[in-house]
Amino acid sequence: MEISLQNATVHSCANGLKIYVLACDEFEVLRLSFVYGAGTVHQSAPFVASATLNLLSEGSETLSSHQIAEQLDFYGSYYDVNIDRDYTYVNICSLTKFVEPTLEVARHILLSPAFPVAEVENYAAKRKQRLAIERARIETKARERFAQSLFGESHPYGISSPTEAYDTLTRESVVEFYRNYYTAQNCFVVCSGKVTEHELQLIKSLAESIPMGETIAPLEMGEVVRTPYYKLVESGAVQSSIRVGRRLFTRTHPDFLGMQVVATLLGGYFGSRLMQSLREERGYTYGVVSAMVNFASEGYIAIATQVGCEVSDDALSIIYAEIERLRHEEVSGDELTMVKHIIRGEMMRILDGPFGVADVTIENILCGADNSVIAQNLQLLEAITPAEVLQLAFKYLSRDSLVTVVAGL
Amino acid sequence: MITYRKKELENGLTVIVNRDRVSKLAAVNIVYCVGARNENPARTGFAHLFEHLMFRGTERYPDFDTVVQMASGENNAFTNNDYTDFYITLPKDNIEVALALEADRMRGLALTPELLEIEKKVVIEEFKQRYLNQPYGDQNMLLRSLAYKQHPYRWSTIGVSPDHIASATLSEVETFYDTHYHPANAILSISADAPEQELFDLAEKWFGGIAPSERVIAQIPVEEPQCEARRCEVERDVPATTITIAFHISGRFTPDCFAADMLSDILAGGDSGRLNQRLVKDQQLFGSVNCYITGDIDPSLLIFTGQLLPSTSEEEAEAAIWAEIERLKTETVSDYEIEKVKNKFEAGTLFGEINVMNKAMNLGFYQMAGHLDLINSEVDIYRSLTPQTLTEFAARILTKEQSSTLIYRKKE
Repeated sequence: MEISLQNATVHSCANGLKIYVLACDEFEVLRLSFVYGAGTVHQSAPFVASATLNLLSEGSETLSSHQIAEQLDFYGSYYDVNIDRDYTYVNICSLTKFVEPTLEVARHILLSPAFPVAEVENYAAKRKQRLAIERARIETKARERFAQSLFGESHPYGISSPTEAYDTLTRESVVEFYRNYYTAQNCFVVCSGKVTEHELQLIKSLAESIPMGETIAPLEMGEVVRTPYYKLVESGAVQSSIRVGRRLFTRTHPDFLGMQVVATLLGGYFGSRLMQSLREERGYTYGVVSAMVNFASEGYIAIATQVGCEVSDDALSIIYAEIERLRHEEVSGDELTMVKHIIRGEMMRILDGPFGVADVTIENILCGADNSVIAQNLQLLEAITPAEVLQLAFKYLSRDSLVTVVAGL
Repeated sequence: MITYRKKELENGLTVIVNRDRVSKLAAVNIVYCVGARNENPARTGFAHLFEHLMFRGTERYPDFDTVVQMASGENNAFTNNDYTDFYITLPKDNIEVALALEADRMRGLALTPELLEIEKKVVIEEFKQRYLNQPYGDQNMLLRSLAYKQHPYRWSTIGVSPDHIASATLSEVETFYDTHYHPANAILSISADAPEQELFDLAEKWFGGIAPSERVIAQIPVEEPQCEARRCEVERDVPATTITIAFHISGRFTPDCFAADMLSDILAGGDSGRLNQRLVKDQQLFGSVNCYITGDIDPSLLIFTGQLLPSTSEEEAEAAIWAEIERLKTETVSDYEIEKVKNKFEAGTLFGEINVMNKAMNLGFYQMAGHLDLINSEVDIYRSLTPQTLTEFAARILTKEQSSTLIYRKKE
């Protein structure tokens, strides 16, 4: 079955901001996403990037945090925010009949957040507790340590700040971060669902009000420091959390797609090699996954699992052995065909409905591509041969290039 | 609005179909009316263990997942206290692959002692990963066993302990399969862009030949009314103390349950909910609070829960929750709050109807609960609730005598 994705219609605003429109008029909903280059790599003090994002809706110059929440909830509108190392995403969904009042609230959130001191303090106290709870989980410990092992403890893609750093979060740093990074130059908008001329004008009027802002200087990422092996001993653990992987490259690298196939073969689906050997044959784990992970200027492959502490060493040797098998034995035509079917099926599922279409479009824009890249990539995927898979695994996954983290016993 | 048609095959299988005119995908969902509430108290976790075994292959298709994956499909399943749900989404041209697989494993599972042993280990690792090696992992288990004394809702779907899973035998597994996995105990629901009659014909083609078995009416112990406050306090190595208070309410699709659901939305639906605004933002007692119904088919629970900030004492926190409960009894809820919940419900329904999977799954759920007719009209029930109904409900149900309080205390 053919998979194609409509290209977005692009509208440019006077302030330089671009609006990408993916109209699917059969749905009585509108989804709007504002994407800013305002992720954690840009922050100068711990937690400032996420605090700025999360506090956008906690009070504007004329509406209190409570009033904003009331209005969004009253119309059944859905507001959520996400952050990664590079970007922040503000998503707003509304029923078509409530688009106007919803965008009125969005105007407060995006254009005139006041970051009241009391809200900043309450936020810091709550988040500190939430992070402490999150960090009591062994998989969080392993995940954070893995980023440090891949990139270095002070590298912007590796760093984790101590929970106590929430105590030093200031309103001034948040206000400054907002002023510098929530600008038209640093933002684009993707909208999907029912977008007629009426909705488009409303969105434009909002987007055009975003100040252009100063040009942001390119980031200094600093040197990558790699730690090949790290064990975090957790007394009392009943499972160990394992991460194995290595730093590779971004999505635009010519070998990315091939390595995505390698990652899928290893642990990208229910019947993958690692699922077979760790779960289906031995019952060591509830699950194991592997995937390619992307940042704006880096990328890595990661294998992640949690296993009973008593089989932790054995599980690790099986992971290494499965990697070696991929490096020395050609994958069968059948297995490779199946992985291609899986990747295609996954793409179809993501693209089912206006929200998924918007997500994929955002990802493509961030890679400097338009939506025709999906069909191109699927063609390239079809053409990948067992010999290429072998060659890529051999080239990139040698034992001494891997980084391993074990948290547990 | 989800349009649907329903019919029963001669062997007793209920089939419900929805024509989706947009998606290129088809969703095939099958509900078996068996969950943790049907378990033997000495073998808890069994329904969930069995769900895992359903992926262990048949004689015709020894490797279930491979067949799904070759068809660019994705499949999974879940078990809860009331039922077990299996679902597959795949390109609509491949829909027969999903039907063939589901029909085949309804009666054709080929289990061996070796496969059972491995799957028991997997489920025990799941137990560890999700319940033992996790902060607050046993909180819900403790609450269930406090609130329920007779009804099997007193244990979680994962079971009481890994030992119960470890002691399951192959013959028990086979008996369970024969008792619960057959056409009369199942509901097949499909959403895809195909004429409804065509979907019925496909259901008949793949499932029509399966021999019928008798539907066993479950004998579930009834929970006796609670007459005095219950309390359980535990200490654990967690970063914050939590307080949870549960009240018995009737089952999903009863008037009390709708009232409870509406109240829980007024209290905790979205950031503007009363509990978040008053207890987290204004009084700054909690890091987070929630209120929700379990919404099970048999008499269920309305649960209040909150995570204390370090500066808050347990007494203050508990009193603050009770103060909000008392307000529900004395002050009528405003029309504005009710309108808000209705809008939210409508939006939630519309956002949820966007994909074939949700539609097929919802059709199966409403049918399982015996209320398929409500799938498009439930919102009218919420609309008909008045502020007085809610006050009356709160006064009658939210009393100390009917409460179960769990203090999950941070170890100093």
